[in-house]
Amino acid sequence: MITLYDFELSGNCYKLRLLMSILRLRYDIIPVDFFPGRQHKSDWFLKLNPFGQLPVLKDDDLVLSDSGAILAYLAKKYDETGQWFPNDPAITAEILRWHAIADDITSTASAARLALGFDYDFDVPKAQAGAHRIFRLMDEHLWFGEREGRDWLCTPPHPTTADIACFPYVMLSEEGGIGRQDYPALRRWSDRVRRIPGFTIMSGIFPAGRALEQA
Amino acid sequence: MTLSLSDSTWYPIASSDDLPFRHVYQGQLLGRELAVWRADDGNVNVWENRCLHRGVRLSIGINEGGELKCQYHGWRYANRSAGCTYIPAHPADAPARRIQNRTYPVREAFGLVWSAANDDQAFQPFPGAETGDWFPLRPIPVNAAPEDVLAGLIGLAPDDQPADILPGLAVRLGHAHYFVQPVDSGRAVIRGVLAGQPEDAIAILRHYNETLTKLRDRLERAARKKPAPAPLEPAFEKVSVDLATMPDIAIPRGNTTTVVVKRKWTSADGVIGFELAPREGHLPTFQPGAHIDLHLPNGLIRQYSITNGPGDLLSYIIGVKAESASKGGSKILVESVREGDLLSISEPRNNFPLRRDAVRTVLIAGGIGITPLLSMARFLDKSRLPYELHYFTRVGEQVAFRADLESLHGKVILHTGLARTEIGQTISQALGEWSHAQHVYVCGPSAMLESVRVTAATQGWPEESIHFEYFKNDKVIDDSSTFEVELARSAMTLQIPAGKTIMEVMREAGLSVPSSCEQGACGTCLTGVIEGECDHQDVYLNDSEKRANTAILTCVSRAKSARLVLDI
Repeated sequence: MITLYDFELSGNCYKLRLLMSILRLRYDIIPVDFFPGRQHKSDWFLKLNPFGQLPVLKDDDLVLSDSGAILAYLAKKYDETGQWFPNDPAITAEILRWHAIADDITSTASAARLALGFDYDFDVPKAQAGAHRIFRLMDEHLWFGEREGRDWLCTPPHPTTADIACFPYVMLSEEGGIGRQDYPALRRWSDRVRRIPGFTIMSGIFPAGRALEQA
Repeated sequence: MTLSLSDSTWYPIASSDDLPFRHVYQGQLLGRELAVWRADDGNVNVWENRCLHRGVRLSIGINEGGELKCQYHGWRYANRSAGCTYIPAHPADAPARRIQNRTYPVREAFGLVWSAANDDQAFQPFPGAETGDWFPLRPIPVNAAPEDVLAGLIGLAPDDQPADILPGLAVRLGHAHYFVQPVDSGRAVIRGVLAGQPEDAIAILRHYNETLTKLRDRLERAARKKPAPAPLEPAFEKVSVDLATMPDIAIPRGNTTTVVVKRKWTSADGVIGFELAPREGHLPTFQPGAHIDLHLPNGLIRQYSITNGPGDLLSYIIGVKAESASKGGSKILVESVREGDLLSISEPRNNFPLRRDAVRTVLIAGGIGITPLLSMARFLDKSRLPYELHYFTRVGEQVAFRADLESLHGKVILHTGLARTEIGQTISQALGEWSHAQHVYVCGPSAMLESVRVTAATQGWPEESIHFEYFKNDKVIDDSSTFEVELARSAMTLQIPAGKTIMEVMREAGLSVPSSCEQGACGTCLTGVIEGECDHQDVYLNDSEKRANTAILTCVSRAKSARLVLDI
């Protein structure tokens, strides 16, 4: 039985809801009041994750934390197709590289959002500039990907957990005052992610129009 | 050089490749944000990036192929016109007012999408453009003033091969043409095109990308040392308060448009298709179920439903029944009007609006009644909403618009040559028992309409879920009553004798009263009722509208009370 310790407005928690929706997994949610209650720093939560960070996922007796690590766990354990976190060593490295970039997006784009929307004391211009730097590189990577026949962040011809990990805080960037107008290829990639069968939304992340093959 | 909000120069605002199927691109030109999207027919729309309703960016909306749907409250706007076609908060009404988003001129050429802040200049290709085959480079956004970006590009030229400066923030460097898109006073996009298709495209793209990225970094370092220029401040027109409110039942308007008969063909045995095109541009926005008044060469006016799908505004296609007993209207169209002839049409009006919030929609057509239902099916089809279209004809040869019907993805069922009792059974099965959010739309001969209405009612369909449109009023008009009519706004009191209509008496008294069918079917003469009880004899108002007693068709209806006060 899977239980997600979840905050509805958290992009990191949404990553897990998104992959579990795509994999059609059933799970329970225990809401954690991250804001304004700061329950992720409460005694009971720190026993689950001493780092005091959301999300935490329990699978029977196993307690896991860190969204990227949990994405890898869920894919390896429950994805029968093996596409979301392939075993190939080179692809594994590629995915982990993007999981690290996803954390950089969290520390920039998400930080700006926390500062503007959740009263956090972060350096907003610095966080915004950091996010723009990453988005520029992602846009270039994805733009050349489109020309080379690669629709996703990693080499395989299908999405992986790398796409899931990077997606939420790209989509929520405007809540941190970071526009995506200068990143057309990043915007097109976000359409593709939103067209993955089983895609689910969260507050601030809307559905896209239908894809070519469905129209 | 300072940028001007009213600069009418055409600038590239996107690459053609930026607009894949069902995507909405976010752009900006001279401080104005743009929502740019390609419809399924290939047309590129450049609109102000703002829903008229609550100001939300349309670039986060949904491209439905023929309409763009706002993400916030689901207002839909038509391809080409940007006219509003549907307001989910008023699902049973047609948004009849002129709710139309701001559009900008657009031209797709040389691998790029071009636009301008206004219509003051015609599009002019850059020198030599027409002779070449153009290969667009990766666009490079730069956080620096557009004129500085142009200067930086000019600086890329080697000493022995100086840059060729072109009009409109553009420069030619050898094989490459660069255009600077002035996004804002401190932001620009470098859009380059190469003459000819390179052999190793990826390597060439990477090479130019590297060169331009280095230039960008230099320009941005320099820009950071300067004070940031004040951003342009475009004025946004305020949306009028009454846009959010719906109009009353119908507003007759007198405007007509001249159209050319572009094509006339036999669509089926006894059905002639007419394609009516504007002399330039596109035709006005319409909603599914809408019709136009067609002004015929002999002075008659007839209503024909538009069969088109969403955002399909380059021409209207109507179907006309060849043999028709109706006062010679269709006859003259079929026999005398030829391809190339000019005709006058009214703006589209919709007395038969389609809800798009149904879980199940049943469309029932009899004969020529297919025309509005074909349009409805096309709209539902584009949005992938569930529907079933039942089309009754006497023989298979009478199936009009067959190819169009075959290209639909939904359930289209042709019923040919059924006996009357079989038609009844088929309608009964097609309807089934009613459940929440199911709607039926029917158009066809009076007998079929009655059959659907009666059957639906007995199978539990509430009145508001049954939608129909009459072509003509078959009822015998009882004009034996005499009464008094007070015209509240004209400060006039008229006596209506037996044998004369309210409309006739009003015209005799010198009032100008718009009308069209003059048989209580089209709704053109609809007038508000302030006081008194109406004797409705039309087929235009539905039962609840008739019971509401708030409007009357003065061409056929009369008063039950001795006095009627009209809002005219």
